[in-house]
Amino acid sequence: MALKKAAKRTEPSGPPQLLWRREGAECLVTNDFGHYAWLKRKDFDLLLAGKLGEKHPAYAALADKGFIRDRLDFDGLTAKWRSKNAYLNTGPGLHILVLTLRCNHKCLYCQSSAAGMGSRDADMSPATAKKCVDFAFQSPNPGITIEFQGGEPLLNWEALKAAVLHARAKAKKAGKDLRLALVSNFSLMTEEKAQFLMEHEVSICTSLDGPADLHNRNRVFCGGNSYAATVKWLKFFQARHAHQVPEYRVFKPSALLTVSRYSLGRHKEIIDEYVKAGLEDIFIRPLAPIGFAKNLWGQIGYDAKAFGKFYLDSLDYILKLNRSGVKLREKMASMMLDKIVNSRDPGYLDARCPCGAAIGQVAYNYNGDLYTCDEGRMVGWEGDDAFKIGNVRRDPYRKVMTSGAARACVLSSNLESQPDCARCAYKPYCGVCPVYNYETQGSLWGDMAVNDRCGLFKGTFGALFAMLKKPANEAILRNWVAK
Amino acid sequence: MKKTPVNSLTADAVIYSAEALRLAAFVFSDKAETVIKPGKGCFLVSFRNEAPGFHPGDYFNEALNQQCRLDLAKKNSKAAGMIATKALLSAAGEAGRKA
Repeated sequence: MALKKAAKRTEPSGPPQLLWRREGAECLVTNDFGHYAWLKRKDFDLLLAGKLGEKHPAYAALADKGFIRDRLDFDGLTAKWRSKNAYLNTGPGLHILVLTLRCNHKCLYCQSSAAGMGSRDADMSPATAKKCVDFAFQSPNPGITIEFQGGEPLLNWEALKAAVLHARAKAKKAGKDLRLALVSNFSLMTEEKAQFLMEHEVSICTSLDGPADLHNRNRVFCGGNSYAATVKWLKFFQARHAHQVPEYRVFKPSALLTVSRYSLGRHKEIIDEYVKAGLEDIFIRPLAPIGFAKNLWGQIGYDAKAFGKFYLDSLDYILKLNRSGVKLREKMASMMLDKIVNSRDPGYLDARCPCGAAIGQVAYNYNGDLYTCDEGRMVGWEGDDAFKIGNVRRDPYRKVMTSGAARACVLSSNLESQPDCARCAYKPYCGVCPVYNYETQGSLWGDMAVNDRCGLFKGTFGALFAMLKKPANEAILRNWVAK
Repeated sequence: MKKTPVNSLTADAVIYSAEALRLAAFVFSDKAETVIKPGKGCFLVSFRNEAPGFHPGDYFNEALNQQCRLDLAKKNSKAAGMIATKALLSAAGEAGRKA
């Protein structure tokens, strides 16, 4: 019996746990430590059979990456896994304060579920804003980011000011690293407000959907020209960033692109607009059928295939611009590349396992209600509080973090429990969204086989891995995440 | 009002568990009332008050999805549970403490 066992041990052993995907004549193999390798089909078969010998040209590299059972560096691989998944130890770092539901824009896709200008009781009071800040600082995370959103947050300047001052004082006392960010359409920006924001080191982000006609078609502003205000203030903050003062840091402004059906086919014009505005990042975000966009999906929505084409055309064009010396990165690709190339967590809460709902972020509604995330808050706006995790005035921090909705989101977005995801080659870099699943497929778990978001992510990962195979592209893409 | 089953289908008990069928019924509760009855080596599934556009095939896709998830849980629940517990306890500020 003992002899039999010993004999078994000398037989070739198969690889340790790995994930794989066939791509033409090759296979992409990945593992939970975030390593990847491309193998020819016959080499992949050898690896699976445990017959890939030490003299094989791919052996050493595969051994370094944890694909050879007899050469596993447990300490190194464990450290890699721990650093890649460090967010499991930290708690929520992103705190989104919805200062008002009111907005002076009526964007076609408005995901923030904004209320009209005349809406009553849609503003957060300064006292509630301070309570929200206090709540955020209860997170064990050593780094706290407070993002001011709306509606249009500049419509509630008093609460914004109160929250900024309170948060800065609180961070000093608590010794936490505090980042403040404002997401605004700029239509109500004044030099006085801009000065306050710069002095308190609030970073600025806006929406820029492309050239004037496209931007204004998506982002309807009855009180004026949305595009003109956006570009004007982008230039203002760019200029201030370029001429820093010793008293405080002025951050480079950034912008978000939301792709509507009207954007499809216009990727070059949109990207050129970003370059013209001096922006170095473009975040190409697909529409999600959540909130207001859900009702207008037939008019402004599209399927994963259509977005995939737009996205890939955009990436190709950005790389072309990069080759000619233009500095521009696509944000989603950058975050995914950071995971793939550096095995680092870029803080992209939508592509984590489990997702960032509650354990990575909290959304604070104007009335102090707490949600797992901003998307969960939008579902709440439709009258369904499935993602509500408490109220800032009523519920203690620990109760909120262990609430039913928080637990349900953590469990359902755990890729180890998702049938398709658990064996997907992109699992080490990906994440699912319970809110998206709930809104589009009727359950927190969703069904990845027919899930458009999954199709979109798979398409993006496929494109990035294919680009990384070409040395000229690889050098540029690695440079995007070289910091 | 007497509700007459519109569709009645058989689900092989070798593939589908009652739990998977029930979970799928819950997911589709806004589209149809699902009645599940045990049969010989199978379950008899019928639908009532179906919403426009409801298709029984969609229900069975979901049932299969749920069944795959239940099967996966048997293999992965330990690792999945550790990850979820770690994330929740850390977020609650209780990491390292005894529960």
